Amino acid sequence: MGGLLDYLPGESIIHRLNPLVKLILSFGLCVSCFLSDSIIFVLSVIVINILLSMMARVFARTLLVFLSLIKFSTLLFIIQILCVRQGEILLNLPLGLYITDKGLMFSLLFISRLIAAAMPLSLTLSVTRVVDIANVLVSKLRLPYKYAFALTAAIRFIPLFSSEMAGIMEAQTARGVDFETKNFLKKIRLLLPLCAPLLISSVRKVEGSAISAELRGFNLRGGSSGYKQYPFKAVDYSALCLCAALVVVSVML
Amino acid sequence: MLRLDGVHFSYNTEGQGIQDVSFELKSGEFAAIIGENGAGKSTICRLCNGLLKPSSGTVTVAGFDTSNAKTSRIARDVGFLFQNPDRQLCQSTVREEIMFGMGFAGVSEAEERCSEMLELFGLDGKKEPFGLSRGERQLVALASVLAREPGLMILDEPTTGLDYMECTRIMDHITRLNENGTTVLMVSHDMEVVLDYAHRGLVLSGGRLIGDGSVHDIMRDAALLSKASLLPAQIPALAVAIGGRFIDIDRADDMASIVEAEANALAGDSRGEF
Amino acid sequence: MININGLTFRYVGANADALTDINLRIPDGDFVGIIGPSGAGKTTLTRAINGLVPHHYKGDYYGEVLVDGKDTLKHTPDQLAVSVGSVFQDIESQLVSEIVEDEVLFGLENFSVSSGEIESQMEWALNAAGIPGLRNREIRSLSGGQKQKVAIASIIALRPKIIVLDEPTGELDPLASRRIFETLRELNTQFGVTVVVVEQKIMLLCEFARRLAVLSSVGLAIEGSVTDVLRHIDVLEATGVNIPRVATLAGLLRKKSLFFGEPPINVLGAKAMIENCLRGENTCLD
Repeated sequence: MGGLLDYLPGESIIHRLNPLVKLILSFGLCVSCFLSDSIIFVLSVIVINILLSMMARVFARTLLVFLSLIKFSTLLFIIQILCVRQGEILLNLPLGLYITDKGLMFSLLFISRLIAAAMPLSLTLSVTRVVDIANVLVSKLRLPYKYAFALTAAIRFIPLFSSEMAGIMEAQTARGVDFETKNFLKKIRLLLPLCAPLLISSVRKVEGSAISAELRGFNLRGGSSGYKQYPFKAVDYSALCLCAALVVVSVML
Repeated sequence: MLRLDGVHFSYNTEGQGIQDVSFELKSGEFAAIIGENGAGKSTICRLCNGLLKPSSGTVTVAGFDTSNAKTSRIARDVGFLFQNPDRQLCQSTVREEIMFGMGFAGVSEAEERCSEMLELFGLDGKKEPFGLSRGERQLVALASVLAREPGLMILDEPTTGLDYMECTRIMDHITRLNENGTTVLMVSHDMEVVLDYAHRGLVLSGGRLIGDGSVHDIMRDAALLSKASLLPAQIPALAVAIGGRFIDIDRADDMASIVEAEANALAGDSRGEF
Repeated sequence: MININGLTFRYVGANADALTDINLRIPDGDFVGIIGPSGAGKTTLTRAINGLVPHHYKGDYYGEVLVDGKDTLKHTPDQLAVSVGSVFQDIESQLVSEIVEDEVLFGLENFSVSSGEIESQMEWALNAAGIPGLRNREIRSLSGGQKQKVAIASIIALRPKIIVLDEPTGELDPLASRRIFETLRELNTQFGVTVVVVEQKIMLLCEFARRLAVLSSVGLAIEGSVTDVLRHIDVLEATGVNIPRVATLAGLLRKKSLFFGEPPINVLGAKAMIENCLRGENTCLD
């Protein structure tokens, strides 16, 4: 399905980076644009994001993410710009509202930071399998396995639940329920009773999953029983150096 | 009652679409769609009540062209029973469930009709649907669909997950319904159920209709069935294997009678040769 | 070896026994099919074998179950898991990974199998389940039958002596169901795994299993070799389970005193049966 956070298989250099390095890298990108007050710097972080996504050959996805972030940010931008009262007035609006130079700069910086910080997250999830992230959190950062498993299970269940919900709505449509109605309140009223079957089937699925995991020794697992190894390679170290450099630059600017 | 004309359908993402499917069900027919998983059986069912709209071609059902009619409107005249009753049930008692089924059909004497259905299906109206067994839940789902007396009933694997007695109970209800004039279109994997209950078979493979005829004939067409990755029901397969006077037999007791007659004739002949 | 002695179990809050005084002995290397109407306790019986009853599902428990010499009361399900593997009907929810390889790894890692052995166990399991080519596939891209084989592979990777399956073909079409049973037969004959399978598809059970156990709501109705059980059509009818039509035919011919041999389990056997009847070779085998 077309989720914006699904894994996109690939063999690019970005795909082959150590999952932990990818996490650190995206964290570094996020942090650096909050450390820096320069809008030029933040905008270049966005460019770096786009370049990275081109290297990973997931540019189409990144563009979609970028556009939906722009849509969302526009709304925030408008609210933000009207709320800042300091600085010189650039434009007077009715209802006693006005736009100031400080407000403009601040809001621009704010939404570019938001975009620049959200993009690495989407990129990382697009080029890394969740199970690899979980494994590396367990083996390198000593995260208890149970939490890592909960993370992967939750992500695996999302499509199952959504297909279950689609199935339930289909079954109700076949009974004559009119979900095509434009009346929002009426739609909510029609959807509400469907929570029961969805909840019951979800609980059943989670229960089944838990039992199946228990019967395969889930409770016996120790921190060190991971089979897959995630060694750091030269390219990982260089990526980390670049990341560190970026953060240092952000502090200076 | 139901007519598909050169219907094509393809999914955007995954899943088997269907290509150039045409058939017509007359009022009162009992047809079964057979084919392996992914052959497009469920897709056809969903096209027939408007849950899916054809990419090209037309589906006409109960006087509606499904491309132009609201699914919720078609649903008043076309009943649909799913494999999994839990997706259909959403009320807190069996009685409410059956009333809910009728609520959208504008049946005025609903209360009375509801009580009739409860009695007919041997259900307790005060019970919670989700506390019942799988077979009983399927019965409740069926009762709630049948309560508004649809002219066409579509059943998507109605007996999967049920035990033999539950399966017989559901199918007996459907047979009675069919005898009273309701048209039935059923998807089933169980060739014995198809043989015992349906009259007409529609064989689907890779999204195409590759066979359409009486169930009796289809069960004898080994080439057709193997093309659809299916195996015939046991007694027809046996009838074909033996041939001769047995060839038209579909049921075990008929076959036993013929064996008896033949054996007696041979004993009378006292030569004991087959 | 599974030894069930006088097992009676009632779930907490239930007002009737799920299992009543069950006595069943399943020797190593057997292939047993369990059939019965819903509510007869088939699933509960599988849970009693893998230890979910009484460790996960609590209730009143009488009698004893010995699996591979271990008393299931004294061993937790994960301790029993090295002896008995479990496969369920709901294909989606029993799989925990995105990639086939990870699914098989899950159990192996949990049981701390050494990394040297993991590779060979994994290859063996994928081969034995008949899916060596699927190792790197995404699970959601597979068909239902393939997914169920992944579940089987991930279970047998732990090399249990026994595998218990609860309606493994419930969601599959006839051909895919058959393929699952062919895989089970392979596991049983080639690798000596004891197979216990609950199934509604009686015709598959009769063809593939060696023994049948028929559960009814009041206990074990009948148990024995497939042909022995098929001889007792009346018991099967009273229990309310389906009967293969060829076995029904054999029963009718027996009533007419035309056939006394072993009831056939498939069409080929039925053809031979009728030919025998017509040749007058109905010598009493009882």
